Amino acid sequence: MGSMSRWLDVEAGADDININTLPTNVTFSDLQNDNEVKLIIGDFGRGDDGPRLKIFKGAMQISDLTLPDLPLGVVSFYAVDSNPRPQPVIAVAFSSSVHFYRNLKLFYKYYLPSVELNAGELDIWKQLTNPSNHNEVIILKLTESLHNMPHKVLSIQSRDFLTLTFDEQLEYLENTRELPKRRSGEIVCISSIKLSSVDKHAVSCLVLGTEDGEVIVLDSQTFTQTNVVNISPVKKTPFQIVTTGVYNVDYRITVATREKSVCLLKRDWKAGRILFNTDDHIIAIEVFTTDNSVLVICADKTFSCYNRKGRKQWSLILEHRPICLTLVPISHLGMTLSAVALVSGHVTLYDGKYPRDNIFIRGGHLLLKILKRTADFNSNSTGIESSEANISQRPWLIPKKSKLFLEQAMRERENPKAMHEAFQQELNRLRLLTAQTLLEAYRKSDNFVGAGNMEPIRLSAEVEGLGPVFVVTLIVHNTSSERAVSGLSVLFQVISTGYRVHTPYIKVPLIAPGNQLKFPIKVEEVFSENVNPDVFFRNVTGQAGDGSVIKVLLLKEGKVSPVLAATVTMPPTDPMMIPYDKLETSNFGQNISQK
Amino acid sequence: MGLLDKLSSWMGGGGKVVTVLVLGLDNSGKTTMLRTLTTTEQEGQRQGPGASSVPTVGQRQENFQSGGVSFRAWDVSGAARLRSLWERHYRHCDAVIFVVDSADHLRLVVARSELELMLSHPDMSGRRLPLLVLANKSDAPHALSAPHVASALGLERITDKPWHVCASSALSGEGLGDGVSWLARQLREKH
Ligand SMILES: Nc1nc2c(ncn2[C@@H]2O[C@H](COP(=O)(O)OP(=O)(O)OP(=O)(O)O)[C@@H](O)[C@H]2O)c(=O)[nH]1
Ligand SMILES: [Mg+2]
Repeated sequence: MGSMSRWLDVEAGADDININTLPTNVTFSDLQNDNEVKLIIGDFGRGDDGPRLKIFKGAMQISDLTLPDLPLGVVSFYAVDSNPRPQPVIAVAFSSSVHFYRNLKLFYKYYLPSVELNAGELDIWKQLTNPSNHNEVIILKLTESLHNMPHKVLSIQSRDFLTLTFDEQLEYLENTRELPKRRSGEIVCISSIKLSSVDKHAVSCLVLGTEDGEVIVLDSQTFTQTNVVNISPVKKTPFQIVTTGVYNVDYRITVATREKSVCLLKRDWKAGRILFNTDDHIIAIEVFTTDNSVLVICADKTFSCYNRKGRKQWSLILEHRPICLTLVPISHLGMTLSAVALVSGHVTLYDGKYPRDNIFIRGGHLLLKILKRTADFNSNSTGIESSEANISQRPWLIPKKSKLFLEQAMRERENPKAMHEAFQQELNRLRLLTAQTLLEAYRKSDNFVGAGNMEPIRLSAEVEGLGPVFVVTLIVHNTSSERAVSGLSVLFQVISTGYRVHTPYIKVPLIAPGNQLKFPIKVEEVFSENVNPDVFFRNVTGQAGDGSVIKVLLLKEGKVSPVLAATVTMPPTDPMMIPYDKLETSNFGQNISQK
Repeated sequence: MGLLDKLSSWMGGGGKVVTVLVLGLDNSGKTTMLRTLTTTEQEGQRQGPGASSVPTVGQRQENFQSGGVSFRAWDVSGAARLRSLWERHYRHCDAVIFVVDSADHLRLVVARSELELMLSHPDMSGRRLPLLVLANKSDAPHALSAPHVASALGLERITDKPWHVCASSALSGEGLGDGVSWLARQLREKH
């Protein structure tokens, strides 16, 4: 399968790497500003090894930092906009704080503001700590009312107190005079959002999700709260946040909750709304930046897609329980795949709902695969071997012969002669069509090898360059061994207005027998004032589309129709070479977001 | 060979002019290598070696001489989006220098796959043109040795072309002389 695969496997010793973490603790960052992306993992550690932040360059671990607690999310972002480009900041979230690292040094700690104690809870504790109330009846009554309060609003002290037996409670109360302190908030998830530009190095601010069902946006420089919103009118607990858009312009914060629903928050909304509910617990979500559709994997082994309005588009049943989901943008092909990892260690890449590739990885390991430059994802032809093996073990689902099929077979047996005749007739018609097309081509001289009178001439063309100015080299070859040709000229015909030919008419001098002449001609792709943003996503080796055809006509003195014609398909201009001064950046951004 | 080419080879003291194609991934050191070669040959007409180079867009042409052979070298860009342009040069080249960043362990597989694509191209396969592989950046930390690079690229499987691998440092020029004189020897024998 090696030669068939779309991937190149990096063999550099990643074998002894032992990772123990969750998907939210894995991120990428150009940590050293050298245009080389590093892999950053907040690792839980194993056994005696505590939690650590591990940095990998390729498959090589280059640094390692002790973390104070189990991490629950790692995010990398740019906090300031300066020139030269600043180092990215790594934010590691723990349940009560977020630590910020720059240059791998801790430089700031953020704590969620603590929450005032519930008045009722405080009142109960006042009575509990009063020694005159220390008898069974009253304590049981107070414990009961404490128990009846929603568990989530209780302080740690109350929660602990409720787990004790009555004797332990009594003993606890005898030793304690203190009222519970203010309750500190708990962080459950972390994400980031671009502040005012989608540029790769643009400033972002942090977005936190809390146990109390709030989403908090932190200022990118002061790390103070700039916005706090509830994710839903009914209390829901977030566990994953995905942001799309730009905070100062327009954005969507999509939140997966533990209560089997996905909530949505938009700019200027006072509170979030439920976008849709799922049948079983959500394991992970992802959101496409292009159309804001939401992918969801659930505990019932489903993988589904919902549109931006929350309507279900499609759903698949997976073979095993999914454990994580991510988007895989393949920018040079202009597509975004999604990857779903299953407990079995299989990772499947999907284009929409169609599986395109399969990868297998052992738990705890690091696997590095590089997509081949020539790979495409248009069909399912490669890399599905492992699932094919599964299929061969399963019995084939062969449908029963239908009535329709039986009737058809019967008719075929009855009418062999008529069928044969019909086939022969169609074959002759095809032959006639071929001959007509050939004659037509000959009459219109739409061919690059001469026939009849002009037999010894051949015309060919080569295109070179990155654009917008290309060089088309025309080669006129006299293939005859005794006759010279003269009186020829070349005329360019541009079908659309997208190209300008610098010398559209050339007189060809005499060509001696067996010789050839080359004519390098400049052809320029012309861009109109408002360029369609699609041109930026064209492939360098692909073709520029229908308008990119140029006809080259070889004319002979004294003849009315051209003797030869060649068609040259121009390659698209490399996006890097497109004259940017013609584009208005603001326009360009709008076009993108409307799509 | 055209008249102009013949003229320039007479002027160059009877040496041959051969076209050599310099290939390799982006950031492997192709431009730096050529700059070092041209400055040592034509003393100090350009910026000194070691001046850092910018990524090449498209292609550039450089000329240098070694072992009685005049080289016309095509330095092409190694960026992934532009690698498909390499094949434009295959038909017109007499030799290939393939530059590998021996400290870039991660992308050795990519270099290998590009080398294989090049060798199997219709304009290349079956032609006995010499292939010089430079295991470049040998001065960098964690650089792999030349034999290690050779086996990672699977050079032992190339049977239709004479090939040679040597460790080099394009910045200091170390190892370049060895490699290029091997290439000159091969080309003198052939022409
Ligand atoms: N340490 C070390 N660095 C080198 C060496 N050769 C090149 N470099 C550095 O590698 C970087 C890239 O070198 P270039 O010569 O521009 O690479 P290139 O192959 O021409 O790259 P493209 O034009 O993008 O295909 C530069 O920063 C060089 O200074 C070497 O032998 N040792
Ligand atoms: Mg270069």
